[in-house]
Order: sequence, then C-alpha cells, then structure tokens
Amino acid sequence: MISYRRRKLTNAILVPVLAVISGLVVAGFLILFTDVSPFQAIWEMFRAGFGCRSLDRCALFTTLERSTPLLLTGLSAVIAFRTGMFSIGQEGQLMIGAIMAAWLGFAVDLPPIIHPLFVMLTAMTAAGLYGWVPGFLKVKLGVNEIISTIVLNDIAILFATYLVNFPLRADRGTTAYSPVIDETAKLLVFMPGSKWGIGFVIALAAAAAVYLYLWRSTPGYEQRMAGESSGFALFGGIRNDRAAIRGMVLSGAVAGLAGAIEVLGVHYRINQDFSLGLGFDGLAVAILGQVHPVGVVLVAILFAGVRLGAQLGLQFSFGIPRELGGSIIALVILFVAASRLYENNLERIQVWIDRLRGRKTAVEAAVEESG
Amino acid sequence: MDELFTIALLGSGLRLATPIVLAALGGAICQRAGVLNLALEGKMLLGAFIGIVMAYTLGNTYLGVMVAMIAGGLLGLLFAFLYLRYKVNLIILAIAINMLILELTVYFMRILFGNVGSWSDPSIQRLPDIRIPFLHDSGALGDLLSGYNWIVYFSWFTAIVVYIVMFHTKFGRHVRAVGENKEAAETLGINVPRVQITALVIAGMLCALGGAFLSVGHLTLFTRNMSNGRGWVAVTAAIFGFQHPIGVLFAGWFFGLAEAFAVRIQSVSDLPPNLIQLIPPFATLSALVLVALREKAVRRLNRRRFISRLEEEQRSAAASAAD
Amino acid sequence: MENIVEITSSTKYFASSDVLANNQVDFAVRKGEVHALVGENGAGKTTLMNILYGLIKPDSGTIRFEGREVEVNHPDDALRLGIGMVHQHFKLVPSFSIAENIMLGMEPNRFGMLRKRDEIEAVRELADRFGLPVDPRTRIRDLPVGMQQRVEILKVLARDVKVLILDEPTAVLTPLEVTELMTVVRELARRGRTIIFITHKLVEVKEVADRVSVMRGGKMVGTAEVAETSIPDMARMMVGRQVILQIKKGTANPGEKVFEARNITVADSSGLPVVKNLSLHVRAGEILGVAGVSGNGQTELVEAVTGMRPVEGGAFFVNNHEITGTTVGERRRAGMAHIPEDRIRIGLNLETNLDENLVVSRYKLPTFNRFGFLLRGAMSRFAGEVVERFQIAAARPGDSIATLSGGNMQKVVLGRELSGDPKFIVANQPTRGLDVGSIEFVHQTLIEARDNGAAVLLVSVELEEIMSLSDRIAVIFRGQIAGEVDPDTVTVEEIGLLMGGSTLDGHAAGEAEEMQTEGAP
Repeated sequence: MISYRRRKLTNAILVPVLAVISGLVVAGFLILFTDVSPFQAIWEMFRAGFGCRSLDRCALFTTLERSTPLLLTGLSAVIAFRTGMFSIGQEGQLMIGAIMAAWLGFAVDLPPIIHPLFVMLTAMTAAGLYGWVPGFLKVKLGVNEIISTIVLNDIAILFATYLVNFPLRADRGTTAYSPVIDETAKLLVFMPGSKWGIGFVIALAAAAAVYLYLWRSTPGYEQRMAGESSGFALFGGIRNDRAAIRGMVLSGAVAGLAGAIEVLGVHYRINQDFSLGLGFDGLAVAILGQVHPVGVVLVAILFAGVRLGAQLGLQFSFGIPRELGGSIIALVILFVAASRLYENNLERIQVWIDRLRGRKTAVEAAVEESG
Repeated sequence: MDELFTIALLGSGLRLATPIVLAALGGAICQRAGVLNLALEGKMLLGAFIGIVMAYTLGNTYLGVMVAMIAGGLLGLLFAFLYLRYKVNLIILAIAINMLILELTVYFMRILFGNVGSWSDPSIQRLPDIRIPFLHDSGALGDLLSGYNWIVYFSWFTAIVVYIVMFHTKFGRHVRAVGENKEAAETLGINVPRVQITALVIAGMLCALGGAFLSVGHLTLFTRNMSNGRGWVAVTAAIFGFQHPIGVLFAGWFFGLAEAFAVRIQSVSDLPPNLIQLIPPFATLSALVLVALREKAVRRLNRRRFISRLEEEQRSAAASAAD
Repeated sequence: MENIVEITSSTKYFASSDVLANNQVDFAVRKGEVHALVGENGAGKTTLMNILYGLIKPDSGTIRFEGREVEVNHPDDALRLGIGMVHQHFKLVPSFSIAENIMLGMEPNRFGMLRKRDEIEAVRELADRFGLPVDPRTRIRDLPVGMQQRVEILKVLARDVKVLILDEPTAVLTPLEVTELMTVVRELARRGRTIIFITHKLVEVKEVADRVSVMRGGKMVGTAEVAETSIPDMARMMVGRQVILQIKKGTANPGEKVFEARNITVADSSGLPVVKNLSLHVRAGEILGVAGVSGNGQTELVEAVTGMRPVEGGAFFVNNHEITGTTVGERRRAGMAHIPEDRIRIGLNLETNLDENLVVSRYKLPTFNRFGFLLRGAMSRFAGEVVERFQIAAARPGDSIATLSGGNMQKVVLGRELSGDPKFIVANQPTRGLDVGSIEFVHQTLIEARDNGAAVLLVSVELEEIMSLSDRIAVIFRGQIAGEVDPDTVTVEEIGLLMGGSTLDGHAAGEAEEMQTEGAP
C-alpha cells in the first residue's frame, strides 16, 4: 500500500520516458543498417520534425496539422477507455465521419462558416450513432465490444470503398475519388505551405472539452466511476449500462469529427485508402498519453513530429527510409505496454533498499503485528 | 447474368480466400487456446515480405516460403513471450506489432532495394500451379479443383488437420480445455503457457504462409501494406466460422468468393461490386447478435428450470418431513 | 492411528490485500478419517488447503505426507502424492462431456490420437467402482450442480488419491443433494480414503466428520473428536470469546416501521436461490441485527435490499411505500444509506480521490452540481467537513484514498453514508478487518444514528458485534430466518445453535426449510 503513490508516479511519467528511450535505442540499432551515425540521425529527425526555419517553411506547422486526426482519435479512445469500454472502433467511426463530410461538403449549399459547422455536426452525429451500435450490443446482449467494433470497422471501410467507387465517384479515372468539396465547406488554413489551420484549434478545443466533460461534469463523472469500478458505480446509484452507451456514442462522435476535419481541412475529398490506420494510431496515442487529454495532445504531436521528422530529416537528408519514424512509435507503444518490465525491476530495487535500511519485509511486519 | 457464376469465378474466389483461410485458422487456434490474437495482419505481412525476400536471396521460392513460416513462428513466439511474461494487454500488443511490421517491412525493403514503393525481381519464380493428373482435364470439376499452387491445397488440408487435431487428439483437447477453463486445465497438470505458446507459434506460421501466398504465390511482388486488411478480415472470418476449423474454412471461402464476385461483377454489369463485399461482414455481425440472443434465452431457460426443480425438491422434502 | 498429513507452522501473507491468511498454523489429519475443517469466511481454511494442494506457496511452514517431508509446489505434485481437491467453484470445462472432464490430462491415446471408447469405458468402470453412477457422454453444461460436483469427485478419484479435500462442498447444493453427498463422503471413508471436509456449517460436521479442527482469524484454534464436542462448543471456538466490547448504549425508542421485506427470494450469480421467502422489518430508532455464519445468503439479501440485485419474488417497503422495482439511485434518494461489506471494491473507488468518493450518492444534488457540472469547491468543502466530523486521519480534500488505512477507509464510507441523516441504514459487516479503535468508532457512529431516529439493519458474522449493538436479533440460516431473539436475554450458545442450523431445543434442523420461523414475537 505504501508504494501505491510511488507506483502511480512511475506509471504516469517514468514509464513513458523509459519507453521512448528504449524505442530510440532500438531505432539506433536499425539505423546501423545504413551508414549514418544513429545519434546524428535521431537528432536530425527531431530537428526536422519540430523545427521552424521561417514562417512559410515551418515543419512544426505540418506536424501540428498531422497531429490533428491523431489527437481526435486519441480523445475518442480516451472517452471509451475511461468508461470501461475497450472500443477499437475509431477506424470505422472516423470513416463514417469522413464519408458524411465528403458527401455534405459538396452536396449542400450553405454560406461559409455555417457549411463546415453543419458538416461537422452531421458527421459527429452519424459516427456517434455508429458508436452506439457496439455500445447497445454490449449492454443489452453482452456482445464483446472488441469483436463487434472490429466487424464494424470492416463494414465502414468497405462501405466507404463502395461509395467512392460508385455514388460518390468524381470521374472515371484510374483511382476512385469523391468530388472535391465546395470552397464554402473548407476549413481555414493559417499559413501557406501546410494545412495547419482551424482544424487543429478545434481538436485542441475538443481536448479541453473532453477534459471538462470527463472530469468536471456529472455525466462524465458517472462514466469514469463506471469505468474505474463498476461495483462502486452500481453501489452509488450510477447506471452502468447508460454510462457505457453514452461513452460509446461520444467516443464515436469524436472519431467522426476526426474524419470530418481530415476531409474539410486537409484532403477535401476521400478515396478508398483514406484512413490508413488513423484509428489504430489513436488507440496508441491514448495509451501512451496515459488515457488523459493532456497526454493525448502531447503524444499526438510527438507522433506526428517523429513521423514528419523521419520523412523530412531522415529520408530527404540521409536517405534513411521514413518508415523508421513509424517503427519508433510502434516500439514505444510496445515498451509502454510492457511496463511491467520496468515496474518489476523497480519493485525489486525497493525491496533491496528496504533490506539495506534494515526494514522488515511486508510478511515479517504482518506476522509481528498480529502477535 | 448467367455468365456471372463461372467456374473461373469460383476458382478465383478460392485463390483469394487462401490467405484469409490460413490466417483465420491461426486466429481460431489461438482463440480456442484462450488468447485473443489480433496481430494476424502483422504476421501475414511479415510472411509476405520475408517470403519474397528469401525467395530472391536463396533463389528458391519453396525455401523462401519455409523461411517466411519460420519467421512467422518466431513472431508468434515473441507475441507469446510479451503476453505471458510481461502480461502485455493483448489488444495493445497486437496493434503495436501490426504497426511495427507495417513500418519495418517497408523500412527494410527500402534499405535493401532502394527507395521504392513496391519491389519485384524477374529472377523470382512464382509458385507453380499444380495440375492434378486425370482430374485436370476432366471438365468442370477439374477446372474447379485443379490448377492452384500448393498453398491453396495446403490451406484446405490444414483446415482438416486442425479439425482432427482439435477434436481427436490429446493436444487439441488440452488446447480447448485451456481456452475454455484455464484453471481446470492447470489443476490437472496441463502446462497452460506451453499450450498457448504452441498455439501462437502455429498461428504465426499459418499467417506467414498466407502472407507468402500473396507475395510469391499469387503475384511476385511486394508492396507497402500488401496484406491490406486481410488479417482483420481473417479475424472476422474466424468469428463467423465460430472458431471451428471447418466453419472457418467455409467462412474464409465466403469472404474470398465475395471478393472475387466483386471483381468479376465490375466487368460484366453496372452493379456496384463493393456492396457484395459488404455481405460477409454483415453476416458476421448478424451471427454475433443471433448467438448472443440464443445464449441469453438459454441462460434464462436453465435458470427457470433449476428454480422449479428446487421448488419441487423442497416440496417433497416438506412432504416427507410431515409424514 | 497414524497421521497421513501433517502441516507445521504454515504462514501465508497476502501483500495485495494486506491479509495474514495463515499465521503459524499446525494441522494434522489421520489416515482414513473424515476431518472437518471449520471456520468463518476469511479464517484461513481455504488458504491452508490451497497450500496443501500446491496452489499457493506459503511464506513458511512444512508439510509431511505419510511421514515424509514433501515439497508441494504445484497441483501436479499434490496429485502425484495422492492429494486431490474438489474446489468450491468447480473447475470443469462446460462444453466437454463428463468423461472428457474426468480424463483431462490423462486421456487414453495412441500416438496422441484419442481413444474415446476406452475413455468412456474407463469412466464407466470408475463410476461403478465407487458407486457414483454418471452418464459419461453428457456435457457438463447440461448437468445440475450436484452432478457436476460428483464429476469433480470422480475426477479426483480417477487420479487415485488417498486424501480428498472438499472445499465447502455443500455451499452450492440443494438439501437433497447435500444428503446424497454426505452418504458419498462416508462411503469413501469406508473405502479407505481420507477426507478433509471444509465447511462453516456445524450441523454438517456433526453429521459426517470424525474429528474437527477450528480456525479463526488465520490461526488454528484447536482440534477435537466430533463425538465429544457439541455444536455450541464448536460455535464458540469458531466465533471466539473476545471480551465483549463495552458500548455505551441507551435504551431504544422504536418508532414507526421504516423498512419491511415481505417473502423475499433472491438468487445468487449462478441463479441459485440463496435467500428464500424471507421476511423482516426494522423500525425507526432501532438496530435489527442479522446474525449468521457467513454464506447463508447475507450478501445477496443486502444487495437485494439496497437495489443492487433483483429479487425473484417478494416485496420491499419503505414507510409503507413499495420500492421493490426501484433503482439504487431512487432508494438512496428516498433516504437509504448502505455500508457494504467490501469497502475496497464496492464501497470505495480507489482509483479516484476523496472528494469524488464522497459524492457518489449525492452528486446530482444542487449542492454539488450546477447545469450538469460538478461544483468542485462544494465537493472539497464537503470533504473537509467529513474529514473533520469523522476524524479521518491523514486525509485532506483532494487526496488519494488508496493509501489510507482500513479504518480510515471505512470512516470515508461512514462519512459518506451517514452525512445527510439517512432514515434507513443497511450495514453489512461494517467492522470487518478493522482495528479495535476503528471498531469502536463504527459502533458509536451506528448507535448515534439510531438515537437520531434512523432504522438500522446490521448484518454481521461477528456475534459479539450483533449482541452488543442490536435491539433485536434475527438469525439467518440457509437463506431463511431461523429465529428471532432478544439480545438482553439470549446466550451466545443459543444463538450459536440457531446459526448452526439447530433449533433452540438442541435438535439438528438440517432441513430447516419446514420450520419457517417467520416474523417474530
């Protein structure tokens, strides 16, 4: 019990830091396959991912642009996980949001500001409903949410493929695209040279909103209690089933917003490979960010920066394939997930220190106490 | 429309189904052993990459496929190690491994073969198609059953072998016992980790074989993200086949056939092909719901039965006490 | 007669729950006897047996089997020695047949291929040999509980054991199944098997055992010949004879009937009815103590009363309003407070801080929420007040509660439940695992609440607690009220008899179902 606080601190800060270091060390070995010095390469990667030469050639802006969907899918996972639902449906919900945005982006005529707002709200509603399905199936029938969200991901992706090939296909080109959305629907971009714009601000606002919702509002409180201890929630008079469904709907809506912003702010249309794992990246962001909005913001930017740095710094400067960036991220997730690797050893060190100080171990203390 | 359902269509369905069947069998074995394995996608992709690279390096496609299977098995071993030793959450583990393999395969492709998006070499031999003697030229049946490479036949064979192993051998029974009630198996001296490790290694090998089918069986080419979601389709197929080897074989065929049908329909009609591909996952979702409904009904029935039995006993006990 | 099993000075400490489950326990079993091991839940019986069976590694202690010192690190080792165990929660594979379950791990095979016909034959032969008929092909999931237990016993017998441990084997059985089991146990002993029978039901001890060992609080209290021991003696050993806690308590002034349960039937998680047709009531300003050995339906009764578990039959009333179908939240808003027996998992949420723990039953009140947002300031102030009023040491608003001691955790629960003057308080084992100081505090607090006019339903397995706090005592046995007594006139022995399933005139009332002592004087 005494070590509880210490362990919590370890979990929150030490483990991610150790994991990032471990990931970079492994990446260093991977770089040895090339003839570039690992230290130089990794330094260059961070410089290129987060640096800023001038306002119109600023890698950081692109990093922030690319962090936007990660941030939102990460938040989506935070809402689901905090409610005790292990949803991996972000991928499909994002697609539903993107589909709605790509369609309504050209299909309705609305004045500027109103148009994107309307599109985003509809996309969130549609994706929220898509999140409701696994929530409902879990609560009413006990269908495992992991399995149902996997199947629903399949369905959403195939549905999007159908749409961009048929009803929404722009022309009979070799690759299928939906038409470009109207100018009125596009989101404001801050600086030429990147698509960093209002979408990022919306994502940050969403992070704040998720924080306020989960930690400051009564429905958010209900969700967290249900997720942290369903027995306690039931005991206190909280409806666990309602909290779970609400969590899934909101989680879906935020993932849908990610898809909408990608369409309205970056690509302006969708193709069949639109998502490319953004949903799974979001899960990773949430886990690495300690399932907390602040962590999610930081980790999303870190992920986007490492990927961009690998592309600009490693690939363009040294000819090292940019996939190293993604590999580092995957390794870091692996090391975080294997946090017992560190915790076990930390505990062992603690016992050792106790002995050195002449303290009793827990067993000895308990026997003595009972007399 | 009558030209839609041709033997060629069925044949291409069986081909497209092969990697899905293999990976889904792997997934089903793991599920039976009580391990949720969502890393089928990554293991498949690794097999595709190692298969073609080793076929090229060793100059022999068969050897390449063998090495790919070994690599898949090793990845399964790593998965087992991280899960059993460090208790890594299975979902996170799968997501990280899928991502790692996706990135690393491209990384090494580019390190080895220059800055390319996809890679092939004329020296690589595609796995030859097997013409079954007598059957091959015997008309429709021959067209349907003959003329695939060995991985296709192996996938059918594997389904049957897995069925026999699962339900008719000592090892298979232990696997099912571990998956259904780990403690029961443990207390009777069954080595649970060993069973789970074996399941994961076999799954890794089957997935890798499915992947190698893509890169040296179907085509001779490797591209970024070559498995392209087939591992996830395999997870769905395993669910649809109720984790039963034969069910999984048919589920895999169903998914493959839908894909082939979608390709085919494009050239003969204006019907949207991708809608056909939506049928299998929808069927899976419906199956999930129906099974859950049935279980709920059975639970309710059992409970009612039990309570009435108990009341009866109480009545008779009271009656005998009154005597 | 020689000892077949001898455990010396077994000690086991569970760090995660901070429980010393076995404290230098000595335990010896003679060859060929039925040896009952009795004690409350949490007395350490199951831990001791898990150590013998190799499921738990003790921190210290030795095991001798047939005179030799042995190492039992895994159930494998135990089975090889000839020690088998039937767990309270069956370890069967539901989709497997009876034969498949019995032969699991020792299947007849040729080159790894199963020989199913041999298997069925072997099981049939085994069942005949021990006179326990079963149909080897039936699937476990289609079997009633009693049959499943028979399969468990056969499974162990198939491994040719000399010592058979039965862990609370009657807990899940119907009365008829219990009778059958007793016959089986005696028969096995007659055939030379040694049986360790874990239970907390003393009637069963009388019925089946040769000798009995009693454990309490992780220690071995003593071993006796059953023939020379009475049920009250055993009850006393089990419950303990601590100094009765001195509680300053005025006479009660019972008022109106606040809570009433009429003919309540409740099922446990596996669907078994564990509370049967039970009725009781509590008036304002009194404490009704429900005494009983744990596992007689108390947990389910309390969960049903508080709305956490649905009832299969009967009705609840608060102030003559029916509340049977209402939710936990509705009951709480109607003035019900609940002190649960498991404060770690149910009563508190250790993942979050003091403030959030304190408002779980009242976060919807205008005091703590405006427009759907929590008023952190008000929560913090409330936490401050509770900390002060309930003297929760080492806690300030906003603190994590996971680091608090058990006593302080319970004060947090009390603080939440008793703030706001509830009309009806349900307290289940409110002092479990607490030190003497904290126990006294809890008792004082409950009496204060009573004196302020609250109706208190106190459920406890601590007889001293029930005797010193209650204004009326109802004894629960096998999900029914076995009798109601007056704490001022009743003796510990008398309550012990009722708790053990006997009537007050000393006769075992094993099938007490027919004695329906409903309501009370």
